[in-house]
Amino acid sequence: MNFENFFWILQILIAIALIGSSIAAIRFKNLIAAVIAMAVFSLALSVEFYVLQAPDVAIAEAGVGAGLTTAMYLLAIKNTTDEEVIE
Amino acid sequence: MRRALGLFAFLSFIIFLLAAAISLRPFGEPPHAEMDTYFIEHAQEEASANNVVTSVVFDYRGFDTLGEATVLFTAVSGVLMALRHYGGKEK
Amino acid sequence: MTTTIIRTTTKILAPLILVFGSYIILHGHLTPGGGFQGGAVFASGLALLIVANNKEKVKELFDKVPLSQLESLGALGFLGIGALGLMGYTFLKNVIANSDFLFGAPTPKGINPGYLNTGGTLSYLNIFVGTKVLAGLTSIVLIFFLILRRERDEW
Repeated sequence: MNFENFFWILQILIAIALIGSSIAAIRFKNLIAAVIAMAVFSLALSVEFYVLQAPDVAIAEAGVGAGLTTAMYLLAIKNTTDEEVIE
Repeated sequence: MRRALGLFAFLSFIIFLLAAAISLRPFGEPPHAEMDTYFIEHAQEEASANNVVTSVVFDYRGFDTLGEATVLFTAVSGVLMALRHYGGKEK
Repeated sequence: MTTTIIRTTTKILAPLILVFGSYIILHGHLTPGGGFQGGAVFASGLALLIVANNKEKVKELFDKVPLSQLESLGALGFLGIGALGLMGYTFLKNVIANSDFLFGAPTPKGINPGYLNTGGTLSYLNIFVGTKVLAGLTSIVLIFFLILRRERDEW
């Protein structure tokens, strides 16, 4: 297997992962599972950036997208409740 | 009726995107490469850094980085100003 | 969230993430990455520490860390380093390079392994932007954590 074939196979696999994880992020009823699907989306996107030879953007995407926004979303979800609160 | 209209809009958008994708240039070949070549050849002596991306971000386009830092500062100040009332006396 | 597994994993993993973030910030002028990327990685390590501990411990841990002051210090340092170039040149001119000051060693031309003591103002700007980004993002995560109303760990 030469490099060209490997490049295109990797592109197709990353595209499948991106589309699958974004659909999962929309369709999941459990909010925490949806947030984890968004983290997987960010991780696949950062792998794609790395394959396209932009390691700066890949590091930023992995740090901000997969690390920090996930923590912020989880904390925001934990701050709210599922059901309506009657005051 | 609305579903048919939505399907029509979806399909026309897909066709528009595919037409745009076909008329794209080959991957990795920008129409004007003079500025890239200049940066790659002269960045090391002009900005004295091995990393050309850092030389562009902090030297050639330093004002953009200053604006980005201002945006981040404004966002953090806004969040802390809105939420410090709930968080006690912390930070 | 404060189970034994998560706490043990964090104890091993967080120092590595913090060291990697510092490495990305300090080597911003040599290797891929820079102030923003390194600050984001460092802040995600601190966010891991915040999320994996309980509220009292986080309050005790971050009570003495001047996050707001670090954020302002980063912004002012960026402007100060930029204004340094006004001594005879333009704003953000690289005046420290090749001046034998800290980070001012003579810059090698052509292919070289990369020396940490070069870069001039770029290294200072990387450090200041990194400080600013890590303080800002960490303070956002910290304030989100501190306004948690429910004390129970139920997920």
